[in-house]
Amino acid sequence: MTRALHTKQPPAAGTAEDPWKFSDIIADPVIKDHWEKVRRYFLLRESTYDMTSRCNIRCNGCYYYEGEKQHTPDERDADAWRTLMRREKERGITFAVLAGAEPSLVPELCAVCSQEIALGAIATNGMKSIPTDINYKIHISVWGNDETSFKTRNAKNMLVRQLENYSADPRAVFIYTFTPHNIEEAEAVTATIADHNNRVSFNVFSAPVGYTGDLRHTPQSLLETGRMMIKLLKRYPEHVLFSHYNAVAHTHEKGLHDLFGCSYPRQNRTENVGLGKSFRQYRTDLSWNRDVACCVPDTDCPDCRHYAAGSAVVTARLYRHAVNPQQFKAWLDYVDTYLSVWVIDYEKESNLCTQPVAPPGFELPPGLAQSVNAI
Amino acid sequence: MASDTAKLILHIAQIMIDELKLEDVTAETFDPDIDLVDEVGIDSMDLATVALVLRDEYSVRIDEDDYPKLTTIRLIAEYIGHKIDNP
Repeated sequence: MTRALHTKQPPAAGTAEDPWKFSDIIADPVIKDHWEKVRRYFLLRESTYDMTSRCNIRCNGCYYYEGEKQHTPDERDADAWRTLMRREKERGITFAVLAGAEPSLVPELCAVCSQEIALGAIATNGMKSIPTDINYKIHISVWGNDETSFKTRNAKNMLVRQLENYSADPRAVFIYTFTPHNIEEAEAVTATIADHNNRVSFNVFSAPVGYTGDLRHTPQSLLETGRMMIKLLKRYPEHVLFSHYNAVAHTHEKGLHDLFGCSYPRQNRTENVGLGKSFRQYRTDLSWNRDVACCVPDTDCPDCRHYAAGSAVVTARLYRHAVNPQQFKAWLDYVDTYLSVWVIDYEKESNLCTQPVAPPGFELPPGLAQSVNAI
Repeated sequence: MASDTAKLILHIAQIMIDELKLEDVTAETFDPDIDLVDEVGIDSMDLATVALVLRDEYSVRIDEDDYPKLTTIRLIAEYIGHKIDNP
C-alpha cells in the first residue's frame, strides 16, 4: 500500500497499526526545513555555574538561597575559572549557563567563561548591566510589574531599571515568571517590554523544596497562566519567544518530570549518555555533586515547570514526539523557542502549530483548548 | 544468524554515517565495537535521530530508556535483531 502523504490522519495514541514513518513526517518541506535547522544545534552540551554567593536583592522563593549551596565559599580567582572552563571544554561542554546568585556582580569571571566557551547564557536580575563584550544571551528575570516586584523582591523600579540597562540589547531576553498573583499584569509588562523592542519569554514559578509561601501554583492558576501565555503570544508574535506547546508543557497540572521524565542527573541515574553523563552544576567554589545536579537545584521536582528545565527535558524527548506531523511540529516549535531564548544570534521561525497539542500520552489541560479559541 | 547480524551491523553503520554526517569512515571500516558516545562523540539526540531511522527501516520501537545500553553498533544490531525475532 502506498501512503498518501499529508492526508493521513494521525494514529490514535497507543495504536500500533500503520504508524507514521519519520521519513514521511519530514517529507513535508516546511517540517523538513525546521528539523534541519534545529538539529544543527544537537551539539549543545550544557553545564551550569553559580558565579558568586552574593546578590544585590533578596527575592521571596529564590532558589539560590535554599539548601546548602548558599553557604559555599566563592572562588574569585579568574585563573581558576579559566582552568575550569578549559577542562569543561575538554570533556565536551559547549554551552555555559552562568547563574546564581547574581552573575553581574562578577563580570570579570563571566568574561573568562565567555572567552573559553563561546556559547552561553547568563541569568540575572538585570539591575546591573553586563559588559557588551560578554556575548552570551542574557536572561533578565521579571516577576510582575514594579509594584509586585517591590513586594516580592524588595527592589524599587525593577522593570524601569532593567529596561534602562538592556533596552533593544539583542542579547537580552526578559523572562517573565508567572506566579498565581501576577498573571493579569503580564499584559502590561509584556507591552512595555515590546515597546522597548525587547524580547520576552515565560517561566512558571516552581516551588523550592520545603517552600511554604503563597507563590506555589494551583490547577486554576496554571490554567489562567496558560491562557495568558497564549494570549500574549498571539498579540506580540514578534516579541514573545514562545509557542502553544510551551504553554501546554509548562502549565499542565502534571509537572515536567511527570510529563516527560527529567533527564538531569538528580533524577536520571544514567551516566553513560546524555545529560546524565555530561551535565554538572558547579557551586561557587567550583565543586559539584551529582546527586543534586540539575538546572535549578533545590526545586521540588514534582512541582518543576522551569523554563530552563523544559529546554532540556522536552527537547530530549525527540523520539516520543516523532509519531505524527502534529506532535512533531509541536516539538519543533518548542525546540525552536528554546534555541531562540538560549543561543545568541539564533532567530526564531514562525510557530508551526497554532493550537495547543497534548504531550505524548497525556490530555490537554481541561479548559485550555476551548479558552484558546476564544482569545 | 551470524550473517544477519553482520548485515545489520553494516546497515546501521551506514545509517550512522549518513544521518550524523560522519567523515573518514565507511560502513565496512566502522568498528562495530567502538564506543559511540565516548569514542565517536555521539550523544542522546544523535541516538534518538538514528533510532527514528531504524524504526522506519525495521518497524521496531527503540525505547528511550534503552538508549544507555546501545553504546556500540553491535549492541544496536543485537537489540534490533532481538526485536525482529520477538515482535
